[in-house]
Amino acid sequence: MSALRLATRSVLRSRQLAAPWRGSFRGYAEVPSDRIRLNLTLPHQSIYKDVDVVQVNLPATTGDLGVLANHVPTVEQLRPGVIDVVEESGATKQFFVSGGFATVQPGSLLSINAIEAFPVEDFSPEAIRAQLAEAQKNATSGSEIDQVEAKIELEVLEALAAVAK
Amino acid sequence: MSSLRTCVRPVVQAAKAWSYRSRAPANTYATLREIESRLKSIKNIEKITNTMKIVASTKLSRVQRAMFDSRAYGETSDEIFKKAETVPATEGNKLIIVSSSDKGLCGGIHSQISKAVRAKLALEPDADLVILGDKAKTQLARTYASNIVLSFNQIGKEIPTFAEAQSIADQIFKLGKKYDSIEIFYNRFKSGISFEPTSVPAFTEESLKTSPNFTAYDIEEDLAQDLTEFALANAIFWALAEGHACEQSARRSAMDNASKNAGDMIGRYSILYNRTRQAVITNELVDIITGASSLQ
Repeated sequence: MSALRLATRSVLRSRQLAAPWRGSFRGYAEVPSDRIRLNLTLPHQSIYKDVDVVQVNLPATTGDLGVLANHVPTVEQLRPGVIDVVEESGATKQFFVSGGFATVQPGSLLSINAIEAFPVEDFSPEAIRAQLAEAQKNATSGSEIDQVEAKIELEVLEALAAVAK
Repeated sequence: MSSLRTCVRPVVQAAKAWSYRSRAPANTYATLREIESRLKSIKNIEKITNTMKIVASTKLSRVQRAMFDSRAYGETSDEIFKKAETVPATEGNKLIIVSSSDKGLCGGIHSQISKAVRAKLALEPDADLVILGDKAKTQLARTYASNIVLSFNQIGKEIPTFAEAQSIADQIFKLGKKYDSIEIFYNRFKSGISFEPTSVPAFTEESLKTSPNFTAYDIEEDLAQDLTEFALANAIFWALAEGHACEQSARRSAMDNASKNAGDMIGRYSILYNRTRQAVITNELVDIITGASSLQ
C-alpha cells in the first residue's frame, strides 16, 4: 500500500520536474534576438510558416531591401524579382516572385504575401525565351487590355530572364 | 360451398374496375405495381446519393488542404491590420460580400449564410450587397433585391483560385463607389462535420491610416491604397476557399444521411412489397382453389 503511494508520488514529482523544461518549444511572442520570424505564404502553399531565419533580401518597388532582426516596421510592395532567404542552417534559398506585399511587423516578424513564388532552379531559359517572344508580340497588337497585360508579363519575364541561368 | 361462391363473386365484380392484380382490400395495400415503381425509384436515388457522397469525400481531403493553405495566406495578410489594431468604420457606405456557391444538396450551407446576412442587413438596411454564388442570390433576392449591386456565378465548381478572387475584387473597385467599411460573410470550417457562418472585415485605406498603431510602420503614402486593395483580394480568396471546404464536407454528410434514409426506406418498402405480393398470390390461390373445389 505505502509502496504504491510512494511509486505514484515519485512519478508525479518527475513529471513536475519535466514540465518546466521547454526545450525547442517556439513561443508565439518571443523571437530570438538575432533572428527574424518569416511567414512566406502563397495562395495555395505556405513556403515558410513561423520559421526563424537570419536574413531575408526583398526586391521592393522602392529598391532592394535586406531585412535582419529588429528591422524597423515597414510595408513594402514587391516587384518581380528574387527573394533570398538565409536560413538558420546557413543555407540560402532563392525564390522568384511575381509580386506581392511584404510587411515587417514590430517584434521581428516578417510577413510576405506573394502571388507566385518558385525556386529559381525550377525555371528553364528556353521556356522563358519562348514566352518573352510571345509577350513582345502581344504587347504591340490586340486590345488595350491585352496590351497592358502583355506589358506586365514582359516586366516579369525580363526580371526572370535576368535571374534564371 | 355455394356460400363461398357468392362471397367471391361480388369481390370479383367490384375488382373489375381495378387492375387484375390489385384485388387486395382497399385500405391496407397500395397497388403492387405502385410499390414496385416506388421501390425502383428509391433504389436509384440511393445509388445517386451514394455516388455524390463518395465524390464529396474524395474531394474533401484536397479541398481541406487548400483551405488550410488559404487560411495561412489570409492570416498573413491580416497580420498588419491586427498589429496596427485597425477598427472598421461604423458609418458611411457599407459593403457586404457574401461567399456562397451555385450548387445545392449541401445541407444548410446556403440558408445559414443567408440567415446571417439577413440578420446583419436588419441592422444596416442601406448596405450594398455583392453576392458570390447563385444559391445565396436567390435567397437574398427575395427580401433584399434592391441592395444587390453585383453578383457572380460559376462559383464553387472547383477549388477557388487567386485569379478568381482578384477579378472579383477588381469588379468591386470598378463599381467606382467608395466604401467606408467592407465585411465578408462566409462559412468558417470548424471540423469535418461542422461549420459556422462568420464575418471578417476587409479594411479600407482610411481605416488603416487612422489605426492606433499605424505610425509604427514606415510606409509610403500611396502604398496604403494598394495594400488594402490587395488585402481585399486576399480576404475574398480566403472566404471562397473556406466556404468551398465547408460545402464539400456538408454535402458529404447530407448525402450520407440521404443514402441512409433511402436505405431504410428500401428495407421498409421491400418488406411491404413482399407482403403485398404474397397476399396477392394467396388471393389468387384462394380463387383457384375455390373454383377448383366448386367443380368437384
